[in-house]
Amino acid sequence: MRFSDLLVMSLNNLKRRKLRTVLTVLGVIIGTASIVVMMSLGIGLQELNMESLSSWTSLTEITVTQNYSMDPNASNEDSFITDDVVEKLSKLDHVVSVSPTLSISVIVRQGVYICEYANIQGISQEALHKITLESGGRYPDPDAQQMEMVFGNMVIQDFMNSKTKKYYYETGELPDLDMSQPFFVIFDQNAYYQSLYPSGDTAVSPPKKYMLNVVGVVAGGTDTYNSYSYSIYTDVEQLKTQLKKVFKRNPIPGQPTNSKGKPYSYFIYNNAKVQVDDMDNVKEVQQAINEMGYQASSMIEGIENQQRQAGMIQAVLGGIGAVSLFVAAIGIANTMMMSIYERTKEIGVMKVLGCDMGNIRNMFLIESGFIGLAGGVIGVALSYGISYLINHIGGIAQAMSGMDGDISRIPLWLVGLAVIFAVVVGMGAGFMPAMRAMKLSPLAAIRNE
Amino acid sequence: MGETTPIIQVRNLYKIYCVGEAKVRALNGVDFEIYKGEFCAIVGTSGSGKSTLLNMLAGLEKPTKGEIVIAGKHIEKLSEKELVAFRREKVGFIFQAYNLLNTMNALENVALPLSFRGMPKKERLARAQKYLNLVGVGEQARHMPNQMSGGQQQRVGIARALVVNPQIIFADEPTGNLDSKTTMEVMRLMQQIVRKRHQTLVMVTHDNNLASYADRQIRIIDGKIVEITINTPQEDAVWEDKRDEED
Ligand SMILES: Nc1ncnc2c1ncn2[C@@H]1O[C@H](COP(=O)(O)OP(=O)(O)O)[C@@H](O)[C@H]1O
Ligand SMILES: [Mg+2]
Repeated sequence: MRFSDLLVMSLNNLKRRKLRTVLTVLGVIIGTASIVVMMSLGIGLQELNMESLSSWTSLTEITVTQNYSMDPNASNEDSFITDDVVEKLSKLDHVVSVSPTLSISVIVRQGVYICEYANIQGISQEALHKITLESGGRYPDPDAQQMEMVFGNMVIQDFMNSKTKKYYYETGELPDLDMSQPFFVIFDQNAYYQSLYPSGDTAVSPPKKYMLNVVGVVAGGTDTYNSYSYSIYTDVEQLKTQLKKVFKRNPIPGQPTNSKGKPYSYFIYNNAKVQVDDMDNVKEVQQAINEMGYQASSMIEGIENQQRQAGMIQAVLGGIGAVSLFVAAIGIANTMMMSIYERTKEIGVMKVLGCDMGNIRNMFLIESGFIGLAGGVIGVALSYGISYLINHIGGIAQAMSGMDGDISRIPLWLVGLAVIFAVVVGMGAGFMPAMRAMKLSPLAAIRNE
Repeated sequence: MGETTPIIQVRNLYKIYCVGEAKVRALNGVDFEIYKGEFCAIVGTSGSGKSTLLNMLAGLEKPTKGEIVIAGKHIEKLSEKELVAFRREKVGFIFQAYNLLNTMNALENVALPLSFRGMPKKERLARAQKYLNLVGVGEQARHMPNQMSGGQQQRVGIARALVVNPQIIFADEPTGNLDSKTTMEVMRLMQQIVRKRHQTLVMVTHDNNLASYADRQIRIIDGKIVEITINTPQEDAVWEDKRDEED
């Protein structure tokens, strides 16, 4: 028999018993929709977590620091993050870029406002350009005469009114800073405090202040946190030049010294941020860096953990949905069995007339498969509707996840999988009845009831 | 008779049904031949084993013992799958209760056996229409079975049996559900067509009058052949079968 003839016969049989077909399909619709909706919640939850994670950290970033030995007397010189190391790291496979970080604590003031524990981070131009700035700002120019700064969007909260000695968190009033005017930056904190609070007879003159400009502010306003919120950013080379100018041959605070207490002749970075091309390669690169003798850390372990958990949640949710599809499968089997009892004579006639046994089996498999297909397709459509309601009606999504964004998400692969699964379940449920129909005796046709 | 080549050979055929403890000998040792192109009637009272015999010839039931050779093939040795194929290629079947599929119209019913052979739709519908015309219900091609009289339905049934151009046609009480006038029409139709096309027709009936339409009658009582009669076109010549069926 031709497949098209088989198909037409099967569909006609389904059409013949419309109500029963519709009811059976309804079961599959509900089963498919419950699986899809349940899994969409699991997927949505996981993606929301990933999104919130990636909103404040890069998932493809590895932070490389020196190896701190347990022995307090040992020098960590071998694993210092220097320009050479940055060069070496950038040659690794899958590494897109490497940016060193050089950070130093400074004092910043403008007018009556002072911030005594500001943190300046010197990073590469590449890394600077990853920061999203408030409109009107620009990135620090590596060739500028004076070092230029970008303020984190929450740095302003750290300024104290030196008259009232009150901070923003005490008054709730934001300091009245003028970003278009230069700020005074004091790099030598030791000298600053010693001049303020002289101990004994050694009078220290106040350290030199540098007038530096703020060329940009990190986007987000003063109340939205991101990973750039609390620091001041500048070009790393400019910072190095500046520090050399400030400290000359003296040790720079934060920079290690050798066993004789002397500073090194080169800069040692606090860390280097390695950008990897794809999340899947992070683990491999991290391993390679560890083997080079540095400390490498990333979000990957946390993410993997979370993905495992999310996978489990999805399986549980999908399993709950699968129960109703299982019930639907029993419905299909029942429908097919009834159909066979009704059509015993017809099947017998067909066998007498020479219809191949395989054709009879396939006819029933197509019927049950079609019930699965129809139920699967409509079920997926229904899932989209339910998903829309969950996401858009009165904060159900927020109540469930505590996060902004859609909690029910139906990716295309889930659509495909659900439809295929429904068809397979339909055919699976129809298999036993189909075998039974195939083995029916043709004599049933001859016997007169 | 011109034709003497046997197309069906039955040797020492037994069919024993076990009903609880009791054994019913539906066929109790049967030997006969049916020749190519003849119209053969199997006659007997109800319960004599006619249908059982026909069903085994058509490969719908397995004999308990004995052999059936049709067109050189041992039917009793075929698997169910092979039997289906055998019927599809060689056999047409006419039922007492017509057994048309209620969901299909007359044309589609006749075309059905052709679809089992994989014939494309257009071709098989055209051919089905030709056969409906042949049996005289061409006008009713689009009627559903429940919109036709018994006689019309049986004509459709005959068309369905003939449409595959089978070597052998089996008919089990084909007029059993028809009134006497329609019975005569249907009988004449079958006789004419089969004769014209040199096909072999094996018909089961309990009616001696109907059996007289056949070229030959095989009479069975209680699962045994008691006589085989050759009907001459002029006068009915009765030839007593002297052979003893007992082993
Ligand atoms: N499936 C069966 N099981 C038990 N006995 C049967 C079965 N089929 C037929 N018989 C018995 O076999 C005998 C012959 O039946 P059948 O061939 O139908 O007779 P006929 O067609 O000549 O009326 C009867 O006695 C009937 O009761
Ligand atoms: Mg009978």
